[in-house]
Amino acid sequence: MGSNKGRGRFIFCCLAPAAILFVIFMIYPTIEVFRMSMYKWGGYTANKTFVGLQNFQTLFKSDKFYQSFQNTILLIIIVTIFTFAFALVFAAILTREKIKGQNFFRIIFYIPNILSVVVISAIFSAIYDPNQGLMNSFLNLFRGPAGAEDPILWLGSQKLVIYSIVIAMIWQAIGYYMVMYMASMANVPESLYESAGLEGAGRVKQFFSITLPLIWTNIRTTLTFFIISTINMSFLFVKAMTNGGPDGASHVFLSYMYQEAYTNSSYGYGMAIGAVVFIFSFALAGVLNAVTKREEIEF
Amino acid sequence: MKMKKALGLLLAGTMVLSLVACGGSGDGGSSDGGDSKEEAKSDGGSTLKVAAVETAYGASMWEKVCEAFEASHDGVTVELTIDKKLEDVIDPDMKAGNFPDVILRAVGGEKALTETFVKDNNLTELTDVLDMTVPGEDVKVGDKILPGFTENTIVNPYGDGKTYLMPMFYGPCGLFYNAALLKEKGWEVPETWDEMWELGDKAKAEGIALFTYPTTGYFDAFFYALLHEALGEENFAKALKYEEGIWNTPEAQQVFDVIAKLASYTEKTTPANANDNDFQKNQQLVLDNKAIFMPNGNWVIGEMAEAPRAEGFEWGFTALPAVEEGGERASYSFFEQVWMPKEAVNVDLGKEFIAYLYSDEAAEIFATEGGAVQPIAGMTDKLSGDAVTYYQIYDTGAVAVLDAFATTEPVEGLTTRGAFFDPVNSLVTGDKTQEQWVKEFAEASDAFRGALKE
Repeated sequence: MGSNKGRGRFIFCCLAPAAILFVIFMIYPTIEVFRMSMYKWGGYTANKTFVGLQNFQTLFKSDKFYQSFQNTILLIIIVTIFTFAFALVFAAILTREKIKGQNFFRIIFYIPNILSVVVISAIFSAIYDPNQGLMNSFLNLFRGPAGAEDPILWLGSQKLVIYSIVIAMIWQAIGYYMVMYMASMANVPESLYESAGLEGAGRVKQFFSITLPLIWTNIRTTLTFFIISTINMSFLFVKAMTNGGPDGASHVFLSYMYQEAYTNSSYGYGMAIGAVVFIFSFALAGVLNAVTKREEIEF
Repeated sequence: MKMKKALGLLLAGTMVLSLVACGGSGDGGSSDGGDSKEEAKSDGGSTLKVAAVETAYGASMWEKVCEAFEASHDGVTVELTIDKKLEDVIDPDMKAGNFPDVILRAVGGEKALTETFVKDNNLTELTDVLDMTVPGEDVKVGDKILPGFTENTIVNPYGDGKTYLMPMFYGPCGLFYNAALLKEKGWEVPETWDEMWELGDKAKAEGIALFTYPTTGYFDAFFYALLHEALGEENFAKALKYEEGIWNTPEAQQVFDVIAKLASYTEKTTPANANDNDFQKNQQLVLDNKAIFMPNGNWVIGEMAEAPRAEGFEWGFTALPAVEEGGERASYSFFEQVWMPKEAVNVDLGKEFIAYLYSDEAAEIFATEGGAVQPIAGMTDKLSGDAVTYYQIYDTGAVAVLDAFATTEPVEGLTTRGAFFDPVNSLVTGDKTQEQWVKEFAEASDAFRGALKE
């Protein structure tokens, strides 16, 4: 009995540091965000006024918020679909096929991950430059003289700007997910492929019937990553490339939140946006997790 | 076995302890704020905390001025914080309750530090500084400052005749162009907007655009000057207070017409680069003779000093063209502000320091060390070189406009720039019509009026 008590104490002491850290650095700040969202506060000084849910009321009437919401959802969907598809295909090719320079390609695909977002943004800003940019120069080969007279404004057109950011984000993300998929694909036993080959299954069939089901757990995890990282990364890209412009057309959740909290003296309102983002991303991740639940296949 | 257990317990214990210690010191930091304040007070206020933003003028002029202040005031130490991202540096300290005594940061900064303090009524009143004698001289501060600089909505933000911010370095804003290009082509600098459009058509025929702008943020100074030209002093003041119906007047309509027409003469790629990272590409258009005019301030010269340029390039600077023949021509005077937060500890010493900033000694250091010009009578006579051209503009008949939109409570989701000027990008690309813009403009103005400070 006595030793049991000691054991309990020992476990408590072992868990306490992590638990305390978790409370201080995760739980408490999160609660703070929700608390602050009910205040009218400039952010710098001590003047805070409690306004209840007023910030949320304003928020749900704001067109700009809905625009940033729309942009974020668009990014989450398009970036996820394309990155997922490309990463999976590249990973399958690099693990399953014997091609020359495998390692070389692996490094090339992974390089964007080493670069900071600011560098990537600078690269893409140069690519999108209306006059000297790679994109327009290339397209002008087909557009002829019309191209020089009427350049495409990748970052200047309200209709195109969000897709310009999509391209940069996909380019940046592929390598990371590819490496993750490659790691789990390498664990799939070779014998499965061999027997499938003997039974006459082709490469594509093998991919859908063996590879995909066997790395499903990994895919589920990355789907959650996609949501979180798209929300976070889109802020960096928008901030570094357009700062929400032109005329607010490229604002996403967090850039709009940043603008309100830090440049419009509306910190409380910014936190209200933060609270909505928090709930939204949690809910989305939960839904995705539930939808993608499959019986785990062991190998 | 027992040993092992005891050792494990001990280790875990130390981990917990160290954590508690960490947490403790973190909490202590914020509650300590009050204590250190007390300390400074009991010190007799001999340490003055000054925070200034580092701009194109450089940091050394501030260091020298602070040294000179220390030299002329026995036992006083100035603790200077100077940084390009001043907000990021002083914010954590302010959150912990330690505020600088004196802050130099102009309204219009990205992080809206000054605006937030103004909106929160968190400034120390400085009206009495105007009546103070400049240290080491026998002139009053108020008498030294150029007229207009202490009677505007920026420094008297609450409209009660009390001064809360003091005007510092100023510079005229207007239209910058390549003087050599106009000379070469035999084109005159337009004096009215009608002449401007004529020039625009002539330039278009040669493949040169009439206008470009770095970012839409540059339209504020431009807009105030144009508004002053069209509305006249009295209605201008009303417009800045968002008076009802003011945007429907024919005079205001003229302003919208000019900007919308200017948008149609704007270099096409401008909106693509009109962001904080690529704006220099738009400025480059002027250097490359691809566009003629851009709204800007004299800092652009330093900003583009290293940039390649057309042969024989020469900066030209003009006030805005008049709305009608013989009408007023205006140039906005951008100026920075120095102010004290309400939480400042060394109030008297801080005021003494601000008064000192207007002394001949300090103004001399600012001018020679950084090229920064204080709004002090007679300062422009001491200028040399390029600077003369810019500051001379008011001597040649241009009206100096100093005001800005009146202070409001924060309006969630709405900024003056976002609602008023960002849509210029949409006008250029054709995503919005003039009517849409004016409608949004008036709606935003209504919202701001509702939030005006009483």
